[in-house]
Amino acid sequence: MRDPYEILGVAKTASAEEIRKAYRKLAKKLHPDLNPGDKQAEERFKEVSVANDLLSDPDKRRRFDAGEIDASGAEKAPPNARYYRDYAGEGSHPYGGQSSYGDFAQGDDMFAELLRRAAEQARRRPGADLHYELQVDFLDAVNGAARTITLPQGGTLNVTIPAGVEDGQILRLRGKGAPSPGEGPPGDALVQIAVRPHRFFTRDGDDILLDLPVTVKEAALGAEVRAPTTTGSVMLKIPKRSNTGDVLRLRGKGVKKRDGAGDELVKLKVMMPTQSEPELEAFLAGWTPASSYDPRKEM
Amino acid sequence: MINEREFLERARLDRGTLAVWIEEEWLIPGRTAHELAFTEMDLARANLIHDLKDKMGVNDEGLGVILHLLDQMHALRRALAETLRSARERQPPAGG
Repeated sequence: MRDPYEILGVAKTASAEEIRKAYRKLAKKLHPDLNPGDKQAEERFKEVSVANDLLSDPDKRRRFDAGEIDASGAEKAPPNARYYRDYAGEGSHPYGGQSSYGDFAQGDDMFAELLRRAAEQARRRPGADLHYELQVDFLDAVNGAARTITLPQGGTLNVTIPAGVEDGQILRLRGKGAPSPGEGPPGDALVQIAVRPHRFFTRDGDDILLDLPVTVKEAALGAEVRAPTTTGSVMLKIPKRSNTGDVLRLRGKGVKKRDGAGDELVKLKVMMPTQSEPELEAFLAGWTPASSYDPRKEM
Repeated sequence: MINEREFLERARLDRGTLAVWIEEEWLIPGRTAHELAFTEMDLARANLIHDLKDKMGVNDEGLGVILHLLDQMHALRRALAETLRSARERQPPAGG
């Protein structure tokens, strides 16, 4: 670590004002963004910043002069993570400045042509993509729907939700993004779909899952019951001696996609009556099961 | 993509100052549906503006001039880089 006085080019007796002036002069000369083509400017600028950090703080300067800390013991001047020049070379950004070589692009030689092409490219740069989020109901996500987003900056956006869209999926609406800063095409609108949960349907891939409560009688004797699907109710045959956890498959009643449809999987849930049923209770009290069925024997 | 709140914090700016910088076109953020959207590049540019003002004592009038000239210099550097690249591609291979 070099002597900070030397780095700033000031005498040991320099006043705070002299140090400030010396630093400013060097910063103006060495700041990496004012020297985009000079790789060493960054190192030198850092060195000057550290020196200034040490000498512009009266307490640190006193301790350095007294030999309590050395130049490297000084806190590092917070360096910029990256300098503007590290980005400015990128092709497309809003801080253009093409006008700076308009005159060179007038001729008909190779270089003028290249410059014109560069300017043309900048002009044709497409607009930015805009991001939106759209909440859709479970059934709209399964069956498809058309929605209109009202944009905060005014205007609307029509979104066609394809049947079977999934939570988190992003729909790209070509040309519905921000306009080009030049004469290029507009960007795209990217609409992320958030599917609201349903009261009783859930989804596993293209299959629809449903827990269907049935009465003890329906489960024991079999029955035909009305079961909801995403496209309306159907009659579902409950086989005799059905049990909680049995799964009945309604083929093709799942999510319909271009390459086929999933199924609806109906899981039965046998429900005891919630009201008092004296006859049932009396029967069960006097009932001797024909087999010694123990539902807990696996435990 | 950096949102406005994160940008204000990382660029050590308050809302009012940011509004002025945008008004002056020192910063040109993008926009999403709901708010301003900044990039790492905007952040580096904000740091440069801080450096120019605080470390070098550039006043507001001078700052606009400097940024404008810097932008032109970078455009020239890009054009030069592009020109050199194309010229090298067109050049017949050396040696032979």
